[in-house]
Amino acid sequence: MNRLIHQGNLHRWLASGLIVGRLILGVIFVVAAYMKLRAPWIEFVGSLSAFELLPEWALTPVARTLPWAELALGVALISGIWQRWFALIASLLLTLFFTVMVRSYIVGLKIDCGCFGPGDALGPKTLARDFSMLALAVAVTVGSFRRTQNKMEPVIA
Amino acid sequence: MMRTLLLLLPAALLLAQTAPVHKAAAQTPAPVTNYKVSGNPNAAVEIDAYTDYECPHCARFFAEFMPQFTADYIKTGKVKFVHRDFPITQIHPHAQLAARYANAAGELGFYDIVVNQIFKTQDAWYSYGKNTGDIDAAVAQVLPPGAMQKVRELVKTDPRLDETVKKDVDMANNVDHINSTPTIVVVANGGKREPISTIMNMPYAIFKQYLDQKLAGK
Repeated sequence: MNRLIHQGNLHRWLASGLIVGRLILGVIFVVAAYMKLRAPWIEFVGSLSAFELLPEWALTPVARTLPWAELALGVALISGIWQRWFALIASLLLTLFFTVMVRSYIVGLKIDCGCFGPGDALGPKTLARDFSMLALAVAVTVGSFRRTQNKMEPVIA
Repeated sequence: MMRTLLLLLPAALLLAQTAPVHKAAAQTPAPVTNYKVSGNPNAAVEIDAYTDYECPHCARFFAEFMPQFTADYIKTGKVKFVHRDFPITQIHPHAQLAARYANAAGELGFYDIVVNQIFKTQDAWYSYGKNTGDIDAAVAQVLPPGAMQKVRELVKTDPRLDETVKKDVDMANNVDHINSTPTIVVVANGGKREPISTIMNMPYAIFKQYLDQKLAGK
């Protein structure tokens, strides 16, 4: 009986943690999008170009759409619709961002990461921040999938 | 209710992005000393460039970006170009003095030639390594002796040279919120001031495309 109460409390804590994590992640994406959208789109072209990864033809389309995609993702995470899928997309996107940042840092590029608009120099601090965001996204994704799985399991009396 | 508000968020952000920033636009830009202006003073698009004479990226800006930009937009009268001083004196101890030399030369009608010379010779006088900070010698290479003598006198005695710099720095801090150099600010039809600090990272062709859109009123 005590064990069941304990498990119930744990589930409640995990569910609350999942909501808080999802909201934090959503707000991060909305803020990141806002910081980029308030600057002219050409500013983000410069940030993207500094990573020396995208071909010239791709810079403008990516600079003009990525902030809106981040905004949509942030709004979706805050609203909670299709939580596990949007959390998964956030995890994949943050994995991509983090990989690009680590690669740029290793090859010694002295650039702005452009993560939250201009003036955000790439360094150990930005890497640690982005890794924390990635860890949070992964935790929310795993938690969301587990929760869905638990809900589907039959209740044994 | 919450979801409706969330759905309205992107629209609100879109409006925030496209509407002119009244706060910045409402503030009348500080009057600029004439020699710092080139191109067509009545052009619909104004480009302000903030630089620091001791900043290596600014030297690259003048060597790599400006020649093409001058040929495409300044000489053709498509834009009004304003060069503004933003010496970051905490890390660049010679930047203010270099600005005084350039502005003194400007008073005598030699602004562009001296600005280019100061940037071109940056390696010889900037404060890193064992350089002497001898901006005077660099400027003397491009001015006639008589003009150089007048420049020296102005640099020593004329307080207006620092006032000009101060006006630009105030503009950078209070209106354009600049925190790095080189940064250019694009102003189309007297509207929103759009600072671009990543100008040296982007391909010139994309910047040209952006500026041509501004000139076409898009």
